[in-house]
Amino acid sequence: MSNNAIPRDFVKNVLQNGVGRYVCQLKRITFRFCKSHGGSRHMRDFIENNLLEFTQKNPGVVCYLQPRRHRPPSVVAEFLNGRREVMLLSGKEVPEICKWVEHMRTRSGVQIVNMIQNNHTETPSTQGIWHPFMFRDSEMAATEFPSKKFSQIQVTGKTATDLVLEEQLKVSSSESSDSHIEGK
Amino acid sequence: MANNRVLQWAVMARTWWIYDANLQCPFRSSERIITYLKGKHKPIYHPFADIGDHVVVFNTRHVAMRGNFWRTFKHFNHTRYAGGFSQASAWRVHEMDPTRIMEKACYQRLSGLPMKKTLMARLHLYPDEEIPQEILENVSGQIRQVQVVPKKLEDYTEEEIQNFPRLFEWPENYDVESYQRENQQEPDQHTTKKWRLD
Repeated sequence: MSNNAIPRDFVKNVLQNGVGRYVCQLKRITFRFCKSHGGSRHMRDFIENNLLEFTQKNPGVVCYLQPRRHRPPSVVAEFLNGRREVMLLSGKEVPEICKWVEHMRTRSGVQIVNMIQNNHTETPSTQGIWHPFMFRDSEMAATEFPSKKFSQIQVTGKTATDLVLEEQLKVSSSESSDSHIEGK
Repeated sequence: MANNRVLQWAVMARTWWIYDANLQCPFRSSERIITYLKGKHKPIYHPFADIGDHVVVFNTRHVAMRGNFWRTFKHFNHTRYAGGFSQASAWRVHEMDPTRIMEKACYQRLSGLPMKKTLMARLHLYPDEEIPQEILENVSGQIRQVQVVPKKLEDYTEEEIQNFPRLFEWPENYDVESYQRENQQEPDQHTTKKWRLD
């Protein structure tokens, strides 16, 4: 899909549609056909047999019929967001025309594009984006590297040597207090 | 925001880290170092994105291996000619190039990445304390060591050694010295013959 003619964009949709109630985004649909040419034969069949049912089911959609002499059949869909889509239907049989008309009725009107990326936001973080000095100890800015303070592993608890030295301190202090009492 | 463009430069900027390998296990250190080489410490990490940092490692001559690894841990090489296989134990490799143990440990942990040679080019290894000024001036952060640097007997003063609590004292005539074996070089059982020096 490396065709530059196909637009590429981030994913978009009419997300508010259907939150309260569903609003059909198709505003107007125009069927363009020739009254005499063989290419518009299936389109004429569609108009004769299926169009009335479509209009009765969708009172919110305006249907126009536009006969054009010796031109291929097409359908023009206009949406609430102001976009207008033309689809050529020459050689398409009645069931397929029904399918494309249904496709236009259920569309959001947003242009079909190649997606650049699945992830996108229109509302970036208010806290600001990450940078290498975020969450870094600000003292590092004034430190000359290599520094022993930021190199040492942070240990919690005591080693066996620490415990032995503590015991020795306790013993020596109690001895000194004893000797103090004796001296009294 | 007007400075969005500059913020994005800061996000993508390559920073430099420094690591002190003094008395550190090279294997556990390399686990920590490659995190920074790959950029896994950043929240914007993605395996296809080239956002790794530079790491400067010094004191690689003073790395410490546990157990008997200096003798038994081997580095292999094959020249791809018949009979071209050779192996050398870690202490021999260390003797020939004091940065090789650390380099190989990092390189092996980067296996499976197509980027590994690019990442290894960002690892700067120095055997001792001396680091060139043009390298050192880039450094803006330090990686914490993986283990406590033990205090050696030379680091204690004579007074501290004398005052250290002991359960009993050796008798005056007790012979300690004669039990100490003479420090002689053992035949290197784990190195290919052509690498041996003896």
